[in-house]
Amino acid sequence: MGASPYRYVRLDMTSRQQSFTTAGTDFEQVQKTSPYFSVEGSYPEAPREILVGREIAETIGARVGSDMELTWQPTVREADGEASDDWTPGAVLSGSAKGFGDAMVVVTATLDDEAKIAEIKIDASTQTPEYGGRTAEDALFLKQFIGKSLPLTMGGDVDALSGATVTSTAVVEALNAARAADAAAQPKTTRYRVTGILVTGGEEEGYVFMSTDDLQALTGEDVLDVAELSVSADEEQLNAYAEALTGNGVTARLVKRVTKSETAVLGKLQALVFLVTVVVLILTMICVSTTMMAVVSERRREIGLRKALGASDNSIRGEFLGEGMFLGLLGGALGAVLGFVFAQVVSVNVFHASIMFRPLLLPVTVLVSMIIAAASCLMPIKRAVAIDPALVLKGE
Amino acid sequence: MALLELRNISKIYGELKALDNVSLHVDKGEWVAIMGPSGSGKSTMMNIIGCMDKPTRGEVLLDGEDISKLPGKRLTDIRRDKIGLIFQQFHMVTYLTAVENVMVSQYYHSMPDEQEALEALGRVGLRERARHLPSQLSGGEQQRVCVARALINHPELILADEPTGNLDEANENIVLDLFRQLHREGTTLIVVTHDPEVAEAAQRTIVLEHGRVAREIVNENFKE
Repeated sequence: MGASPYRYVRLDMTSRQQSFTTAGTDFEQVQKTSPYFSVEGSYPEAPREILVGREIAETIGARVGSDMELTWQPTVREADGEASDDWTPGAVLSGSAKGFGDAMVVVTATLDDEAKIAEIKIDASTQTPEYGGRTAEDALFLKQFIGKSLPLTMGGDVDALSGATVTSTAVVEALNAARAADAAAQPKTTRYRVTGILVTGGEEEGYVFMSTDDLQALTGEDVLDVAELSVSADEEQLNAYAEALTGNGVTARLVKRVTKSETAVLGKLQALVFLVTVVVLILTMICVSTTMMAVVSERRREIGLRKALGASDNSIRGEFLGEGMFLGLLGGALGAVLGFVFAQVVSVNVFHASIMFRPLLLPVTVLVSMIIAAASCLMPIKRAVAIDPALVLKGE
Repeated sequence: MALLELRNISKIYGELKALDNVSLHVDKGEWVAIMGPSGSGKSTMMNIIGCMDKPTRGEVLLDGEDISKLPGKRLTDIRRDKIGLIFQQFHMVTYLTAVENVMVSQYYHSMPDEQEALEALGRVGLRERARHLPSQLSGGEQQRVCVARALINHPELILADEPTGNLDEANENIVLDLFRQLHREGTTLIVVTHDPEVAEAAQRTIVLEHGRVAREIVNENFKE
């Protein structure tokens, strides 16, 4: 049904000592994958327009139409040729270099608090498995990187894996290239216009949202962290999709806990509403039946007269059934419209979401209420048909 | 020629014989009164003639057809097509106007025709009161509407149950004049009454007592 890309970056708010997680995404897709997002104002349409979560908006006093300056800081900043202390803990660097046979080797390193390598991942799937390919798995080779600061020197900081010199060198080059690129990056500040405040009731209220293009322009990176997919399927199918997607550096996860508990709550609510509906219908039936019974008693003489004048049992049945079903039709239509208005009010006030009118609702409601009305009329009609026309003669 | 013939009919409710071996012959165009004290079987006889009840024994021939064994549904058809009913209590549909009350009869018979209904009201002298509700009409006027309703479908037999029982003398005479007019036009009339004056207006009076025909009086002073 939809697919929204997300790239999460922390940006500083220039005018305050605050930084916010900012998500770069595609707003058109977001509206499809997260229909429960409620925006005060409107979704951004032009470049340099952003959505602000309610929580942030309240903290900084942002309103729809106000401006906001955001600054992006490179992961590792170099000041005067030295690594500064001003970096982001847990930053991830990623780079690539040519390995054996001019094929690319991609390396990703996670940095610890002191800008030292805490974790390293090598994608050497392009290299010969028995030689260069082993760099990705060889524990001793990988261990050499941990705790080292960038840049690295081949033969100094790291020894090549025997039989995979070219690939080992490529790994070191890739890391150095990543650091160089990061160091060359300059902080960048851009002014944005807030077009909407996002209200979700969830953690999204603590985020700033901008388009992927805007975020890319700011950071110079073209990377995605998360892609949210919205699929219309049951749980089994979803699991199958997730399995098919996993691999190639992608992990697919079901938003299971949420969907599961939501399904459970919705299911219970639905069962409850269904039960209430059945009870109300039964009460309605009793009510209508009693009323019609009273009408028949009240109009006993008139019914007797009609029969004496030649009304057949079927025309008596038809008159009462027609009257009952006509009232059922009116009641059903009126009930559907009022019920929708009421449901809308409840939904907006309680769940902060508007509901959609399902066109099938009207005919189904009308039909059900007509059937109920007709069923309620059966007993009274039986009574009406049993009325003896001779009663009008007896001078009652 | 006989329009209605009762052949040895009895109506028995448990122990009670409401009608006991009664025979009656009414010619086409005849005007017959049925008299008798209450409990004499008048109502039962009227119900049987009006196709609203069946005798326990005996035959009822209407227009040559034995209707005593017909199912209720067929009896309804016959009542609708051949019999016009007039009641002591008038019985009008309270929320319908005079002309609409006449049209109810047309509705069950064939098709409502307002023009025809208005003409029928004209015959009973109530053309101007056609748009009035029963509550806005006097008893005499209501009964005249009921006469119009009874004759609207041109029935072969008009069956009146104490038609003047709730009327003053002036209105009684109006209704009897209407009956005379219908009689002249060839309509068969059977009037159940306990009022000797009303009975005397008919050609012949049948007196019922204890479920039997006690006597039959031919009105020699009958004037066409």
